[in-house]
Amino acid sequence: MQRKITSLLSLMLLLLCSLSVFAQDSREKQLEQSKPKLPEFKPQEPKRIQLANGMVVFLQEDHELPIIDGTAKIRGGSREIPAAKAGMMGIYGSAWRTGGTPTKTGDQFDDMLEARAAKVETGGGIDSTNISLSTLKGDFDTVFDTFVDLLKNPEFRQDKVDLAKQQISTGISRRNDEMDSIAGREAAKLGYGAENPYARVPEYWTVAAVSRQDLIDWHKKTVHPNNIILGLVGDFDSKAMEAKLRKTFESWPKGPAIVPAKLEFKPAAPGTYFVEKEDVNQSTIEFVSQGIRRDSPDYYATRVMNEVFGGGFSSRLFSSIRSKQGLAYSVGGGIGASYDHPGLFSLSMGTKSGTTAQAIDALNNEVATLVRDPGSEAEIQKAKENILNSFIFEFDSKEKILGERMTYEFYGYPADFLERFRAGIEKVTPADVAAVVKKYVDGRKFAVLVVGKSADFDSALTKYGKVTPIDITIHEEPPSAGGSAKASGGSDGAAVASGAAATAPTGSNAEGKALMSKVVAAMGGMQKLSAVKAMSQKTAQVRHTPQGDLELETESVAVFPDQLHTVMHTPMGEMSMVVTPQSAFMAGAQGVQDLPPTMRDNAIKDFKREPVYVAQHADDPKYSFTASGTEKVGDKSAAVLEVNADGNPTRWLVDSQTGQILRAKFKTSGQQGPVEREIDYSDYRPAEGLTLPFKRTTKDNGQLAATTEVKEIKLNPVVDLKVFAKP
Amino acid sequence: MRDARFSLSSFSLLTILVFVCCVAASAQDIASFEKRITVKKLDNGLTLMVVERPEAPVFSFFTHVNAGSSQDPQGEAGLAHMFEHMAFKGTDKIGTKNFAEERKVLEEIEVAYRAYDLERRKESGSDPKKVAELEKTWKDLVAKAQEYVNLNEFGQIIERNGGVGLNAFTSMDETGYFYSMPANDLELWAYLESERFVHPVFREFYKERDVVVEERRMRTDSRPLGRLIEQLQAASYMAHPYRRGTVGFYSEITGVTASDAAAFYKIYYVPSNMTIAVVGDVKASTAMPMLEKYFSQLPKAPAPPELRTVEPPQIGEKRVTLREASQPWYIEAYHRPNYRDPDDAVYDAISDLVANGRTSRLYRALVRDQKIALFAGGQGGFPGNKYPSLYLFYAVPTQGKTPEMLAESIHKEIEKLKTTDVSDEELQMVKTRAKADLIRGLADNEGLAQQLATAQAMYGDWRELFRQVDRIDKVTKGDIRRVAAKTFVPSNRTVGEIENVKPAAPAKGGE
Repeated sequence: MQRKITSLLSLMLLLLCSLSVFAQDSREKQLEQSKPKLPEFKPQEPKRIQLANGMVVFLQEDHELPIIDGTAKIRGGSREIPAAKAGMMGIYGSAWRTGGTPTKTGDQFDDMLEARAAKVETGGGIDSTNISLSTLKGDFDTVFDTFVDLLKNPEFRQDKVDLAKQQISTGISRRNDEMDSIAGREAAKLGYGAENPYARVPEYWTVAAVSRQDLIDWHKKTVHPNNIILGLVGDFDSKAMEAKLRKTFESWPKGPAIVPAKLEFKPAAPGTYFVEKEDVNQSTIEFVSQGIRRDSPDYYATRVMNEVFGGGFSSRLFSSIRSKQGLAYSVGGGIGASYDHPGLFSLSMGTKSGTTAQAIDALNNEVATLVRDPGSEAEIQKAKENILNSFIFEFDSKEKILGERMTYEFYGYPADFLERFRAGIEKVTPADVAAVVKKYVDGRKFAVLVVGKSADFDSALTKYGKVTPIDITIHEEPPSAGGSAKASGGSDGAAVASGAAATAPTGSNAEGKALMSKVVAAMGGMQKLSAVKAMSQKTAQVRHTPQGDLELETESVAVFPDQLHTVMHTPMGEMSMVVTPQSAFMAGAQGVQDLPPTMRDNAIKDFKREPVYVAQHADDPKYSFTASGTEKVGDKSAAVLEVNADGNPTRWLVDSQTGQILRAKFKTSGQQGPVEREIDYSDYRPAEGLTLPFKRTTKDNGQLAATTEVKEIKLNPVVDLKVFAKP
Repeated sequence: MRDARFSLSSFSLLTILVFVCCVAASAQDIASFEKRITVKKLDNGLTLMVVERPEAPVFSFFTHVNAGSSQDPQGEAGLAHMFEHMAFKGTDKIGTKNFAEERKVLEEIEVAYRAYDLERRKESGSDPKKVAELEKTWKDLVAKAQEYVNLNEFGQIIERNGGVGLNAFTSMDETGYFYSMPANDLELWAYLESERFVHPVFREFYKERDVVVEERRMRTDSRPLGRLIEQLQAASYMAHPYRRGTVGFYSEITGVTASDAAAFYKIYYVPSNMTIAVVGDVKASTAMPMLEKYFSQLPKAPAPPELRTVEPPQIGEKRVTLREASQPWYIEAYHRPNYRDPDDAVYDAISDLVANGRTSRLYRALVRDQKIALFAGGQGGFPGNKYPSLYLFYAVPTQGKTPEMLAESIHKEIEKLKTTDVSDEELQMVKTRAKADLIRGLADNEGLAQQLATAQAMYGDWRELFRQVDRIDKVTKGDIRRVAAKTFVPSNRTVGEIENVKPAAPAKGGE
């Protein structure tokens, strides 16, 4: 018995010991458990006043420092102006302040305010405009007078309107310098649609279209007391301030309310989108789709999901992609929630060019894991703690409270939305998170945007399917209606179906242009090329048909841009084919037969794809050249050049050393219908001053279709135009 | 164009009711802070500051370590910044599943890495097969060590207890660590903050190296201005560490080891080199003894060596021109003395005069009147303040305008500074704004913690934060002419510019 007690005691001692060791090992847990309760904190709410004319005022006293700050938010913004004037809000926001009032110039305001270390500033935003002030308490009356003068009587002097326009245009010219600004802009376009006001950006011509009168009209239309929410915070007495504001604003008559724009949100089709940027060694990757509104019942569960998935140090993305795999410095994201329109669902990261595909795979993998495992009980609990325990920072200063109350007022949210938020988060269960994951997260539905230098990628993005290059060329003028986009759309139905429509023409990128100049140089230079008006060839061909091989010799003459005559000497006799805009036919022993429209169109298209013809148009705006990475030809690595020949897309694989085209790939129409054609070019030799391929191997849908040996090439031969006439 | 920014905050309603008369009048001056600041230098040399600002039940802190990238050893540029990243990796108790085992593997990793590194860098030629084998041994150990890691546990503890804004920075002069927490987490914070500097563990070092290289690619290599600044720094300095950027060179960041970081920590993360300020809903009377208990655990150690190198005078103009596909930039840099120099406030006054707002000399000349710049500015103290640094003028041209046009106009403005007195109104404006800016900077816990800790560390007295304004108040017209005339001369100048050319010149970055 004695013994037993002893052993029990020692066991207990042992237990106690190990407990205390355990406790020592997790001192933080001890401290977490023993920490005092956070004292009840009722933040000071601002006083809300509504004037008879509809103007809403919030007053938030704060006597810590002798400063008064304020802002008036006015309904209506760039989403309410036409796309043809994109950029107008920026001009308005700038010239409103700098353009002064009838009695004072903006420069005079500058002198007066800066001498007092005070500010009155104006701005134009997406759904509102604003005017703000910040001043030492002692100067409030003077500064407030300026504020009111500018609010009610802006002059928008022409010189300042011009200055603002120049500044915004300069901004346009610089918008492709930083990859983050490219990625942010293009991600918004993919998430919202390029024409959506939340995505569209100013262009030179839309800025040029804005006049002083537009700004005056906008001000007249929007600046009415019933459209204004004014908030003041600082070292003042609310009663005295209220009296002053009433005296200033109460007699201001009401005006018409702003009719909010009806917006269309058209996210891009899922797939891979690519922007080439030469001067970087890192890629920015964004997965984009549409988010939700903040008043959605799903808001709270998505907020918890975001915390689990893409929030701070604790999140899965940070832990896996940054800490564990070392693939990125910045990584994160989640389902965005905006007050009155869908936010963006965006996941983004930056990784070195050489791990671009690896990073996309890693992000895809995390998305797939999220779908499979939306979060354990413990994970959800931890995420909720993160949010709830830091909740105090939503209202730890009087200015924050004022800002939140003004925001809720502006968007028509309940004044206690913050408290509802806390309650909403508390209620979230793992099942709720699983439900929103199921509803919103689908790896197949993202538009995947990559901005980077494709030549250095670890793998071509084509491994994810079709890659849509995004043209970020900054245009001087609006794309003309007769541009290449229209040209391909204007072809007849069959031709469009063969692929032209699916591959919308895109602008060149710098690398593509550079590669194309190499191709031109390799052929003999633009000067010689542009002298070529016609070209004749004699060839020996073997056509590989299902019925067996067919040997034939051809003599063809092409008169640029659109006349082609080919004579084929076959064992069965002689046949000729003519394609011109007027007629397209075949003539032989059996008589004359018109070519079907599809074949005719494709013949003309193929004509426009001919290397010499394309090279002649290297500088033609209807032709675009986009370099996008590398691809193998045999065991040779070749640069990929996406050529859009006046609406006819062709992929060239170019030897980046020599500039010679090794392979062309395009969709066309063969004897048996639409085919993917691949022509390998080799045996480059001098031909009357140019250097051209003397051997061509053609494959249709991967099957060897023809091998062609060129016997003779003549440039600008004497052509008998009668051959093009229908007999 | 700017949105309104409220930058005010204050005491809780209750406090206002009781103290409004006495607190309100004086929150912006030394006297008010004297009452609310407690500074204590611990026996080990560490300085603790507690600032009572009970507006809401929260606090912010700032840990100032008086060592930055200037202290990176030769061949190890980027090491101070690497250590900063390591300070989030936990301790011997936090972030590990079994430290005894983990530690063994971490030590093995260092041995294995050294062997691999020696072989691959062999000047007499390395054996690729051997390199591959050694690399595999090292990487296998890294993978083994990973099994002991509780990923990001340090950050997770802070986040689950309501911490926000968890971050840090490394500059040329210093390293700063900061975040905010609810007021009831003060002791937990003190434990975590002291532990990470008493018992740091350099786990996941080689993964984090990759992360830092990505940071370099993002900030330096892939941004036109990042590339230009790196080149400008290198061109401006021939001897002083200010010639190197914070993030370091590719070859060096990819070469530093956990042992290097540990050596750096041992020299520079000593208590006498650290100042920690806590600002918010804290009571010094109860907090200070508790904080002292935790931070006294840092062992007393000799003060780090002072930097020996002094940049020799520049005797001829230098120029770096990047010809790139991106749009132009223009920067010119002039050597100036450090922050201890009696003329420090004169440089501040010049910056305000030439660059602050729409009344500034450069805005009016280059932006408003000549319309050749999108923006233009001037700024002292680049890339640091602690050692003799650079005064920068910079501008970005509007469309079709060139860096040469900007240079010409900037030089005209500089000539005016040298030859013509500024007006009474201008000088008064500079002084008024200095006072107002100081007041505006006192409005939040985070900003206060950083400003006070930094002033305390740099001057040995937080009151210098307020006295800077007095020094600006004493600047005369003659001072401005004199300082401009001695500083802004061509032989003391280094120009950095981006010229827009087409097609794109490929950027090599650090690799």
